[in-house]
Amino acid sequence: MKNPLLKRLPRELKSDIGKYIALFLFLSLTIAFVSGFLVADNSLKKAYDDSFEKFTVEDGHFILAQLPEDDLLSDIENEFDISIYPLYFVNGETPEGHTVRFYTQRDEVDRIDVLKGEFPEKDDEIAIDRLYAENNNISVGDIYTADKKNFKVTALTAFSDYSCLYKNNADMMFDANKFTVALVTDDAFDSLSGAVQYCYAWVDHDRDMDDTAREDKSDEIMKYIAKKAVLTDFLAQQNNHAITFTGTDMGGDKVMIQWLLYIVIIVLAFAFAVTTRSTIEQEASVIGTLRASGYTRSELLWHYIALPLLTAAAAAVVGNILGYLVTPDMMASMYLHSYSLTKYTVIWNADAFVRTTLIPLAIILLVNLVIVSVSLSLSPLQFLRRDLTRKKNRRAAKLPNWRFLSRFRTRIILQNRAAYIILFIGIFFSSVLMLFGMMFSPLMDHFKEQVVSSKFSEYQYLLRMPLETDTEGAEKYCAAALLNDNDEEITIYGIDPDSDYITGLDVSGDKVYLSDGFMEKYGIESGDNVVLHEKYSGDEYTLRVTDKYDYPATLSVFMSRETFCDMFGIDSDSFSGYFSDEKITDIDEKLIAATITEHDLTIMADQLDDSMGRLFPIFGAFSTVMFVLMMYLLSKLVIEKNTSNISMIKILGYTDREASGLYSRATWIVVVLSLLISIPLSGFTIEKIYYTMMLEYNGWLSYWVAPWVYPMIFVIGVLCFAAVSLILMKKIKRIPLAQALKNME
Amino acid sequence: MYLELDDIKKSFGEGENRAEVLKGITCGVEKGHICVLLGPSGSGKSTLLNIIGGIDTPDSGTVSIDGEKTAAMNEKQLSQYRRKHIGYVFQSYNLIPNLTVKENIEVGAYLSDKPLELDEIIKTLGLWEHKDKIPSQLSGGQQQRTAIGRAIIKNPDILLCDEPTGALDYNTSKEILKLIEDVNSKFGNTVIIVTHNDAIKLMADQVIKFRDGRIRHNDLNTVKTPAAELDW
Repeated sequence: MKNPLLKRLPRELKSDIGKYIALFLFLSLTIAFVSGFLVADNSLKKAYDDSFEKFTVEDGHFILAQLPEDDLLSDIENEFDISIYPLYFVNGETPEGHTVRFYTQRDEVDRIDVLKGEFPEKDDEIAIDRLYAENNNISVGDIYTADKKNFKVTALTAFSDYSCLYKNNADMMFDANKFTVALVTDDAFDSLSGAVQYCYAWVDHDRDMDDTAREDKSDEIMKYIAKKAVLTDFLAQQNNHAITFTGTDMGGDKVMIQWLLYIVIIVLAFAFAVTTRSTIEQEASVIGTLRASGYTRSELLWHYIALPLLTAAAAAVVGNILGYLVTPDMMASMYLHSYSLTKYTVIWNADAFVRTTLIPLAIILLVNLVIVSVSLSLSPLQFLRRDLTRKKNRRAAKLPNWRFLSRFRTRIILQNRAAYIILFIGIFFSSVLMLFGMMFSPLMDHFKEQVVSSKFSEYQYLLRMPLETDTEGAEKYCAAALLNDNDEEITIYGIDPDSDYITGLDVSGDKVYLSDGFMEKYGIESGDNVVLHEKYSGDEYTLRVTDKYDYPATLSVFMSRETFCDMFGIDSDSFSGYFSDEKITDIDEKLIAATITEHDLTIMADQLDDSMGRLFPIFGAFSTVMFVLMMYLLSKLVIEKNTSNISMIKILGYTDREASGLYSRATWIVVVLSLLISIPLSGFTIEKIYYTMMLEYNGWLSYWVAPWVYPMIFVIGVLCFAAVSLILMKKIKRIPLAQALKNME
Repeated sequence: MYLELDDIKKSFGEGENRAEVLKGITCGVEKGHICVLLGPSGSGKSTLLNIIGGIDTPDSGTVSIDGEKTAAMNEKQLSQYRRKHIGYVFQSYNLIPNLTVKENIEVGAYLSDKPLELDEIIKTLGLWEHKDKIPSQLSGGQQQRTAIGRAIIKNPDILLCDEPTGALDYNTSKEILKLIEDVNSKFGNTVIIVTHNDAIKLMADQVIKFRDGRIRHNDLNTVKTPAAELDW
């Protein structure tokens, strides 16, 4: 015979359908979001990893100042057992000032994936990067002007050696808004106005080398070429951000997203358990009778946790289906908004299934098993007598001599403390999520404002070699890049002690200043020694920190030019470039390695905004729903638990409004207090998370929360409960007077 | 004796607050008899009923049913003991609010390998027209009938009734008592009724009177009065 108690389940589901639908939707959407993210992440990572073989991504490339002599390339090939392929390019500009790097078709190495359209066949046709095109609203068929020529866009592509659009490898951040790679026909390429860069990519025949061996070999290749030709650039694959950054960055958010899921699941599991516990309390005498009749504790345990488990299981199944069918593309679009990835297919991910289905179900099962088992561990007699506490000497808590209504409400809060504790935890996690969703955009804007206001000059030029200029106000500076212990690039500036551009900084003597972001990120204090090293030679430099300098744009070190030249052992009149408020026009552009503009300084914030910006509204919406859900579930529970009490006070003559005032206002007090405690606590939590998160990124954005964010969270929390309390008010109104009499029977 | 109680003692509280509720109860009940435990509030009759039912344990003494002693049983075995031997009826009916009359009775049937015929029980209980109603649609008497149905459907060896008419009016009380009587004669269960209503003793085969935790009288009724003829 089937257990007749099973017949209760669909009826209970029906009678409390609102609660179960809300829980189901919230849980399934959370799981869909996380599952979609993990599936997309895994599918894209697989496509990215596979692209190395599929599109024969180079093991490195080098650029020669001029065409090599006849035998040089074959000598290198023979010496190192590699194949070398020309990968010439020309940089051009668009009327908007964007940089276009023109290439011709590559058949052997770094092949290109066409995502939409066809490769160009005519001389006025062009294929450009898909992400750049999206960022600039360019479609196949549009006319695209670059290098003062009009091209018809025939394809949107992904270059396998530019999964991340770094214009220069030294750039702090990639720039998919103002830089693209492009493919044109051979004839179109020959007609370009810019200087051809004689770039060659190599592919090693030995595919089984480990990272160290590859590094050593590329060093050997570099030294060999440098002896025989003039190298203007040399970049092994492992150091090429355009190729590797995507791989390093992918999966970084995975841990965070998973924890988001687990936190939500734990909070929901407790919410389920607390509501089940309340049901058990309400049905105590029935449970006592069933136990007295011979029902075992485990039969009742499974009966009471069946609905939460079934709801969670259904949500996990639906969430996973959505996670495969709907959300991966949404989630993938977050990556595709940052990276130029080749085509991907959604692949089955057992790990995602375990993390989004089995683990959440296990958490819900475990939390409910423990809490409901404890609730059911009382003896049948205790259930029959409704003696549901383990404390032998139960006494009412002593309250101060407040007015009656305050004491009444305090008693309600004390009576429902378990539910209110869960409500507090729910409000706390919702506040954390909401703060996370709200703070980033203003933080980026604030950062950009700071960066712009602290920039040294309108133009900052980095030259290929020291060259003089007659531009008025141009000031020489030295710059070099070193790495710290974490292999993060630090820019070293050597400046004039009486600089017109970097003011308020006394760099006389051996004084060394660190940008405040650098000090903050690595916890460096004035007076500390900082050890930096050369990327290739490994030469170490120890600097004693004098003080910090407010320069948020990059992790930098400032010293006098004299100290700089001494430190690097170069001529005292050497320099790397100019600070200038005027555009320098008397230096050949080809000899300018980089021009750092306002855009270059804010590019990191722009890109972070671009790639993560879509996540923020999701977090905002998510946390609002969680606010409402937790408030609704737990305050509803308080009302249901007190149904006969509410009915009784109505019999005594309290109006609906007064009854609601007593019970709903008790929850109001808890909500407001929870918000007031949670908001600063969530600020503290997010600050900790933020620091850990930012350590993973290059550069540093100081933690900053716009002053309106905290009050806004409070207001949203209060509005959410205002909406919930309207529903509660209705519920209280509907409680009949006869309820109390019925229950006393 | 089918049910044997030997020197059952039970007290509650500690130290100065310690109250001895049962002070050495020894008695027995024959199989198929109706036994009424009679006494004022606090005399210990309900506690004794709970000890017989295996939902409370004595401080000392033994309970045995058909030679099977409950003292040595652990929690799981006690559950099985109740499942196999005991049917419970309380003053408050404790029905499951979202199950129908029929389903509430099935809750009891599930516990037995050989339950009685469901429809027959429902008819015996006079609930046939109400079998698809939920408890809130029933009168108190009908709810108590359902509770009795739930207890007897598994055909328990002993039916324990704790103040089964305590919440009912005169006429309904008599109906319920008659039903218990019918059930006893039809299915032959041993029935133990706890009550403070002196009139009920007349329908019993055996009457045990309690006061201050002791048995004051333990008498067999040679002439029983049918429940329908009881008056108080």
